[in-house]
Amino acid sequence: MKLKLAQRFALVLAAVGILGAGLSGYYAYHASRELLLRAAEERLLTSTRVLMRQVVTALQKGSQDVLLLASHPRTVAALTAATGPERAAAENDIAALFVAMLKTRPDIYQLRLITAAEHGMERIRVDRDEAGLLRVGGDELQEKGHYPYVYETLRMPRGSVFVSNPVINHERGAHAGEDKPSVHLATPIHAANGVPIGLIVLNADLDSVFRMLTSDLPGGIGLYLTNGLGDFLLHPDASQAFAFDRGKRILVQDQFPATARLFDGQTEHVVTTATPDAASVAAFIRQPLNPPQDNESFVLGMSQPTAAVLSDSDALGTAILRIVFAFSVLSLVLATLLARAVTEPLNQMVSAVQRFTAVQERVPLPIDRQDEIGVLARSFDEMQQKIEMQMGTLQAKQRELDHLASHDPLTGLPNRRVFLDRVEHALARAQRTESRVAILFIDLDHFKEINDNLGHAVGDLMLLAVADRLRTTVRAADTVARLGGDEFIILVEDVESLDAVAMVARKIIEALAHPVWYQDQSLAVGASIGIAIFPQDGASTTEVIARADQAMYRAKLAGRNRYCLASEASGDTHTIPLDL
Amino acid sequence: MAIMRILLPTLSMLSLLAWPATGFGLADGPVRTLRVLAWPGYADAEVVKSFEQRHAVHVDLTLVATDEALWERINGNQGGDFDVFAVNTAELQRYIDRRLVQPIDAAAIPNTQRQLPRFRKVEAIAGLTRGGKVYGVPYTYAEMGLIYDRSQFAQPPDSIAALWDPRLRGRILAYDGGGHSFSLAAMILGKASPFRMAEADWPQAVARLIALRRNVLGFYAQPDEAARLFRKHRVALLFANYGTQQVKALKAAGADIGYVIPKEGALAWLDCWVVTQGTKDLALAYAWIDHLLGEQASGLLVARQGLANTIAEPSGSGAADRLLWLEPMENPGRRDKLWARIMSGDSAARVLGP
Repeated sequence: MKLKLAQRFALVLAAVGILGAGLSGYYAYHASRELLLRAAEERLLTSTRVLMRQVVTALQKGSQDVLLLASHPRTVAALTAATGPERAAAENDIAALFVAMLKTRPDIYQLRLITAAEHGMERIRVDRDEAGLLRVGGDELQEKGHYPYVYETLRMPRGSVFVSNPVINHERGAHAGEDKPSVHLATPIHAANGVPIGLIVLNADLDSVFRMLTSDLPGGIGLYLTNGLGDFLLHPDASQAFAFDRGKRILVQDQFPATARLFDGQTEHVVTTATPDAASVAAFIRQPLNPPQDNESFVLGMSQPTAAVLSDSDALGTAILRIVFAFSVLSLVLATLLARAVTEPLNQMVSAVQRFTAVQERVPLPIDRQDEIGVLARSFDEMQQKIEMQMGTLQAKQRELDHLASHDPLTGLPNRRVFLDRVEHALARAQRTESRVAILFIDLDHFKEINDNLGHAVGDLMLLAVADRLRTTVRAADTVARLGGDEFIILVEDVESLDAVAMVARKIIEALAHPVWYQDQSLAVGASIGIAIFPQDGASTTEVIARADQAMYRAKLAGRNRYCLASEASGDTHTIPLDL
Repeated sequence: MAIMRILLPTLSMLSLLAWPATGFGLADGPVRTLRVLAWPGYADAEVVKSFEQRHAVHVDLTLVATDEALWERINGNQGGDFDVFAVNTAELQRYIDRRLVQPIDAAAIPNTQRQLPRFRKVEAIAGLTRGGKVYGVPYTYAEMGLIYDRSQFAQPPDSIAALWDPRLRGRILAYDGGGHSFSLAAMILGKASPFRMAEADWPQAVARLIALRRNVLGFYAQPDEAARLFRKHRVALLFANYGTQQVKALKAAGADIGYVIPKEGALAWLDCWVVTQGTKDLALAYAWIDHLLGEQASGLLVARQGLANTIAEPSGSGAADRLLWLEPMENPGRRDKLWARIMSGDSAARVLGP
């Protein structure tokens, strides 16, 4: 039970300690992860913004290029020339311009001047080829009027730029740009009367744009670009880009559900960790095109594996786990020590109480402590002292009472009750050991005269002297008692012979024969003694004492100062010759 | 650092003596499982559920969105991954060639009796039978009719010739696909079969398609792309490669349009349920097909998907006899190659060149 209290106490304390350590550890870990993720999201968003600015800048650059080419006077001349040679001259000039631009701009596949007439026939076309730049002419020029970059551009106002949906360019004969991801930038050319007469089309190499975007990315970062509908154009897994070109739709909204909010116009950017496999952090930005057109917008995004983001928190987690473990152990040890420190003095006091109750023995208590336990110990010690003192007084009084109840107050000799008790025991013992016991009944002679003549005080002195002499005459083991008045009685155990008893009786008579001096008076008493022997003179205490009493009477009747044996004939007495 | 994620919460949980309840009680799967490969909308959840309840089985439904994906799924493991799937009659041929599917015993599928007579005459449907054996049960179809803007036509167009009508120049949308485009050309030229052109037919067809190219606003590939262009450029006529699904989408977008099956007929795909050679439960596969020919499944096709079923004539078209079920073409590769050149804007000489 004592142990249980300590254990419980220790368990509760340890549990509180471990719980505290565990919870604070967990929340520290959790918070650190959250912070890292938020920081990663913020970082990715910032990086995406930077990249987005690059994309927008690249688009603006391309737009400026087509606007520059469209505004060139020779461009209009090439479309409006009245004669063949004039047209050819203007076309050559523009072709030279195209070549010059393509030489400095490796990210352009193709530059074209297309007329609004003849079903959108190409007039000038310079393609990039493995061998270099190539001016396409003759029947290799194609009709493009059914392509959105033609019919949409021709419907646009002067100075505006059409940006096509990024596609895989399947136009045959496009040389380097054939079957490559491309985007068309186009701007209309208007005649003086405002009628659209043609357009400049720039076919941009998207791969080079992608290379520009991905070149500076650190490892582990995934880059995504989608069109305005969410179809991937650029994906870390190349097989997922341009899936619509293969009759499939692979959408960013499916892979990063949070991006759905970009496409319904709720927001311009999202950060998310809720990818289907929850293994990466990602940020996406939607960039609308101004003015809104065929490709209304595009979305750029970056992702980073959550594991990479959280690698720091894992180290932290290990450290936290260690600390939590250490604190748990520490709290367990402290709890045990504390439980012991509290329960040990308690146990000490409990055992002290038990010992005190059992054997009234005082055990040292922790009375020197200054705390509540010390107070309790001191109170308890005080209580012990008081009890002990009271017990002492009580016992002394008890002893006094016992003495009073069993002794003659005048002489200090055992009284009748004690004497009878001792006789009972002696008889029982004698019966067992087959030994003999003698009772000597003594009555003082002439005591009454002293008492009457000289007063009770002298009588008492006399009795004290008699008692004293009787006590010194018999053996220490024998019992001398006063029955009352001038009657004394003696119990002699282990009687070997009648003679030995008779010897005792004689000694007594001799001892009492000496006078007692009182105020120069010699006072003398004598003694008549009756002797009875157990077992022959009686079988019980009463009987033996009665027989001794009778024998004493006979001795008195016979003339005093003599003893008489109960077993003898009624006339036999023993006179002691006294030498006085 | 999975251990952290587990240890720390567990530690606190332990201290709190509040163990999270773990999800047990995954029911044992039913003894019989039917593995179905289908297209979106062919077997909606309630259709699957009612089948599962009726037969006390489990249906493992996988969806595909393209012919290529379907072919990969079935051909990938010699058909061993599925019991039953849906495929169109033209595509079905290569599955029969590879022995991926098995002949069907129509008598074991009572609901085939409920089908319209023209779908019960299996011999009349090209590609459905081979060697006197039936390989598929027709389930749904869609035809490629013409969608027109009511406000721009006094009389609905009744012929595919409208696609070449110079009065509609720049207000037409056609489909960017070699196979169907050459079939259209063969139809306007009055050839016997749009799917089998003779060598002499090619130059004529190319010329027709170049003429088409010069007459249209543009070509589309996706239905939503078509819907956007239709409304943006006030298009008058649209060749509906995706059929009534496009009608439904445009009407939902608020366009005032009509839909016609031209007198030359309309190309149409017909999807059939077929059973794999290696099915593990033929009886259950038949039960599935029977279930899908029931009111519930076939009704939902019309009501929810805007497709047609094989148990009731579509309301108001009355052109059922003019449907030209897709068949394997004489040379799909050549059609695609020439179409790419036509799309690119080449002249007829260059299109037909080497």
